[in-house]
Amino acid sequence: MKAQMCKAWGPPESLVYEDVPSPMPGPGQVKIAVKAAGMNFPDTLLIEGKYQIKPPFPFAPGAEAAGTVIAVGPGVTRFRIGDKIMGTSATGSGGYAEEMIAGENSAQPIPDGMTWEQAAGFAAVYGTSYHALVQRAHLAAGETLLVLGAAGGVGLAAVELGKAMGATVIGAVGADEKFAVVLEHGADHVINYTTGSLKDQVKALTADKGADVIYDAVGGDMFDQSMRCIAWEGRLLVVGFASGRIPSLPANLALLKGCQIVGVFYGAFAAREPETATANFAAMARLFAAGKLRPHVSKTFPLKDAPHAMRELLTRKYPGKLVLTMDAA
Amino acid sequence: MKAQVCKAWGPPESLVYEDIAAPPLGSDEVRLAVAAAGLNFPDTLMIAGKYQVKPAFPFAPGSEVAGRVTEVGARCTRLKLGDRVMSTTSMSGGGGFAEQAVVREAMCFRIPDSMSWNEAAGFPVTYGTTYHALVQRGRLKADEVLLVHGAAGGVGLNAVELGKVMGATVIGTVGSDAKIDIVKKYGADHVINYSTESIKDRVKALTGDKGADVIYDAVGGDAFDQSLRCIAWEGRLLVIGFASGRIPQAPANLVLLKGCEIVGVHWGPFATRESETHRANMEQMFRWYEQGKLHPHVSMTFPLTEVPQAMAALLGRQSTGKIVIDINQKL
Repeated sequence: MKAQMCKAWGPPESLVYEDVPSPMPGPGQVKIAVKAAGMNFPDTLLIEGKYQIKPPFPFAPGAEAAGTVIAVGPGVTRFRIGDKIMGTSATGSGGYAEEMIAGENSAQPIPDGMTWEQAAGFAAVYGTSYHALVQRAHLAAGETLLVLGAAGGVGLAAVELGKAMGATVIGAVGADEKFAVVLEHGADHVINYTTGSLKDQVKALTADKGADVIYDAVGGDMFDQSMRCIAWEGRLLVVGFASGRIPSLPANLALLKGCQIVGVFYGAFAAREPETATANFAAMARLFAAGKLRPHVSKTFPLKDAPHAMRELLTRKYPGKLVLTMDAA
Repeated sequence: MKAQVCKAWGPPESLVYEDIAAPPLGSDEVRLAVAAAGLNFPDTLMIAGKYQVKPAFPFAPGSEVAGRVTEVGARCTRLKLGDRVMSTTSMSGGGGFAEQAVVREAMCFRIPDSMSWNEAAGFPVTYGTTYHALVQRGRLKADEVLLVHGAAGGVGLNAVELGKVMGATVIGTVGSDAKIDIVKKYGADHVINYSTESIKDRVKALTGDKGADVIYDAVGGDAFDQSLRCIAWEGRLLVIGFASGRIPQAPANLVLLKGCEIVGVHWGPFATRESETHRANMEQMFRWYEQGKLHPHVSMTFPLTEVPQAMAALLGRQSTGKIVIDINQKL
């Protein structure tokens, strides 16, 4: 099969597009013929050796994909050959390839009516955002949810899910061009944090109360500012650090605000609590069927162009997801 | 009335024992003849001008009292003259190191008949903080592991005791072997002396590498840093205070990887904003007291004339449990 292989830590251009042996599913794993693969920011960290997980060389990157089951490993009970699924990849066998290995527990059936491209980019971002808002933040209807990086993959998913859960959603973006897509996906307000203080804008929109839940996949200065506009008993969700700077929290601020800083590690959650993760996807399938979730795919690229696609991802100009497709490979 | 009065920011010795006018009574307040007043670490910060609340001079410090109701404001509904009560003070009406205190009725609770003045005087702040921390903020469940830093201190001993009543396995940390016995007596399953042992290594060993589910930290500094290394998946690190004097920083990536929470506990605003929940908390603890499950530990008492000495004892960490200012036991 064809795959984009990482053979040494390096930039996107160091990936090698070549024929490699077909991977074999181990116990509890399935092999899928990939139709489309979702691209995520951590993919770029992974191939540079800057991610917390460092697979042995050579490996195909790509955290998630959608496709058809073509082989099942020992002990697999939830899926059969021919099932259409989406899922996150097993370490070392990612979605930037014609075939991918997924853990049975991390895979989910594709809801009716969802395209391959939408499904390819669904599992990681919606899985993360749902887990963050429900199990970690206990977001309640009527609360205010502030989503940083609202036009990005996890951000748009958080906006949609927050609205579906009955929250008032404020999306924060870094450029005015991104307002439209965030509003289109349901945000009540959008603010640009490059043209005004995040704190002042959020306080103005919440009658000085601050946001009850803050979804932060950005880190850096945005995290620091978030601590200044979080409500009493608010929850600041630490989802990631797309800004490149890992912030530190002064513990006295958490005390004075009576707030909490909540770590969200979706991969570990899905591995430890697979039944809850599967129930989350069942709930999201119902929201999708009801028209409340509309996974946003900005652009697709053929597999052979993955390095170029990663460069495009790094420009951050595309809202929602970028997806690799196999048919044109 | 006699009071210990703060007239300028300074150390305990700068307090002046003298006669001052009794504070005026507001419509939602009651006046107490003070029987005893509890001493707390923030009292020492307040007179030094290092606390977030900075009352206008002159003022009597003292954040909690027990006493008898001698006057009731026009809009009060629950309390009547002669009631034996405990209360936190609102510094606007003056503090507890005085013969009289004016307190908000909403912060004031009738105390069990069997509870002594001294026990009651040291009860509201430490037990109130700890119950709120463990229940509303930490969501502590029976069978979880609770790690309590500074376990022999005022709030620490309460956390050990309340954690056991709630069914947790409790590990206490202390800074010297001399404090191990009292922490065990209050029910701790294990005690770690952090001056001779690594908190992280011992907690991991005691929990089968899992770590502590809830960590109660009124110490800050190194205790906080080590806590982040021995907290369980989905654990809750409760930020109560910084008795060590160093305010720690939590690296956000560690919080992410551990899937844990850093939870601020600010009991004062909670008690005011959510007074119904606060009252339910106190009433639950009074029931436990009457059932013999709680044993407030008063280790030292000082007369009203010796508040500076009492503060010095607190700051010198000579005490376990509470220090109480004994003002008028005959009430």
